[in-house]
Amino acid sequence: MASPRIVQQGIKQVKPLMSVDRTEARRRVLNLYKAWYRQIPYVVKDFYLPITVKMGRDKVRELFLKNKHVTDIRIIDMLVIKGQMDLVETANIWKQRNHVMMFFKDTVNPKPKDFLSKFYEGQE
Amino acid sequence: MASRLSRFIRPIASTLNHKYGGASSRTLGCIQRFASFGVEGETPKKPTVASHNPLVRQRLRDFGAYIAECMPKYVQQVNVPYHDELEVCIHPDGIIPVLSFLKDHTNAQFLSLSDIAGVDKPMLENRFEIAYILLSLQFNSRIIVKTYTDELTPIDSACSVFQAANWYEREVWDMYGVFFANHPDLRRILTDYGFEGHPFRKDFPLSGYVEVRYDDEVKRVVVEPIELTQEFRKFEANTPWETFPQFRQIEGDVQKPMNPPEEKK
Amino acid sequence: MAGIQKMTTGLTGLAVARHPHQTLKVLYNRILGQLEKMPSDAAYRKHTSEIIKDRLQAVQTESNVAALEKRINCGQIEEVIKQAERELSLSRKMLEWKPWEPLVAEAPQNQWKWPIA
Repeated sequence: MASPRIVQQGIKQVKPLMSVDRTEARRRVLNLYKAWYRQIPYVVKDFYLPITVKMGRDKVRELFLKNKHVTDIRIIDMLVIKGQMDLVETANIWKQRNHVMMFFKDTVNPKPKDFLSKFYEGQE
Repeated sequence: MASRLSRFIRPIASTLNHKYGGASSRTLGCIQRFASFGVEGETPKKPTVASHNPLVRQRLRDFGAYIAECMPKYVQQVNVPYHDELEVCIHPDGIIPVLSFLKDHTNAQFLSLSDIAGVDKPMLENRFEIAYILLSLQFNSRIIVKTYTDELTPIDSACSVFQAANWYEREVWDMYGVFFANHPDLRRILTDYGFEGHPFRKDFPLSGYVEVRYDDEVKRVVVEPIELTQEFRKFEANTPWETFPQFRQIEGDVQKPMNPPEEKK
Repeated sequence: MAGIQKMTTGLTGLAVARHPHQTLKVLYNRILGQLEKMPSDAAYRKHTSEIIKDRLQAVQTESNVAALEKRINCGQIEEVIKQAERELSLSRKMLEWKPWEPLVAEAPQNQWKWPIA
């Protein structure tokens, strides 16, 4: 049972989610990254994705780096838990093609920044 | 079907027409309504709110005191709120001990877990409240066990005590994002794969973050961020209507200033 | 044993007990043994040993199963055996949890206040 252990974090004592220190949290993140990295070729093949393996791995890297500013061990753990659940859903093909392609957001047009494109969009 | 229906209706309509001299359908409706009022007036009115049973309340209070006496380490508060049901508020460490006690003790025997419910109170430090609703078939009685947690504190899974807790805890995880430690199979249960966020949190916008449509160009369902995002939401602690006037705390207990609601990450 | 033994309990998965008196005596004595290990002022120990001693006495004095069921008044004798088994496993776990100790921590202020306003 992991719950009775207590982590010293600043002044406040909190119950850990999984990891008790930074090294453990870091190891969990790296393990998850490796698992995703190894899974990508199978994902591309199983779902007939219109992407290359390289693109898939770049996307994984991008999604991991999106959270690189997070320092709280418990938030890292929570993100790892969610990433792990996502991996399981993908690897077991519970997801469908569109669910996997949701990561890529390839139909979303970037929001117009300058005046002229805003004008074309009819926003101004 | 229609002919069969009209066969039933016709005799009634013809008799009514005969009685009231061919009144229009509108007046017929009025007469019927009037008649039904007359019937209702004769029967005594039943109160819509269930009345108290002082005997039941006293028994529940005694039983609550019994639980608190047996488990002083975990029980923080026991009360019988407005309706005749018992509420036991416990420290999150005591979920498994208290639930096991209620299940296995000869004087309790709450062998059935009816539901696990979550409540989000964003102005509190521990914003989520988890309520376990138990049923004792032996003594024909229900009990509510309540505990609290926040977004990142795991609470012990009750699956080792009640098998039924499995899906209920998955539901609470999916809807509120409360993590259950030692759960055998914690994953989403209600939301779609790839769904982000926990919809029953109070800071989850009513419109959601994304919208889903079928795109004919890429030949699949695509998910796009929604344009009608909810910009700002004020958490008002006041109830907009006087829900339970008898339920208010009247004692002049000291109130801590409310914490501002947490920012979305 | 007086009369014909019952054929079934009428409950799925619950077989008729062959020697309910013997089983119950063993179980009750084991529970009392577990309770002995708890501090004598623990409320759980006091209340449970009261129930168990009462039932044990009923089992020892009453030899007829139907009369015993009536006297204990908590379902059929097979259900009473189940209850004793659960109580035994609970008493073992209770020794680990020690719920007679003082409160772990008070609830944060306003946690149980309702309505919040």
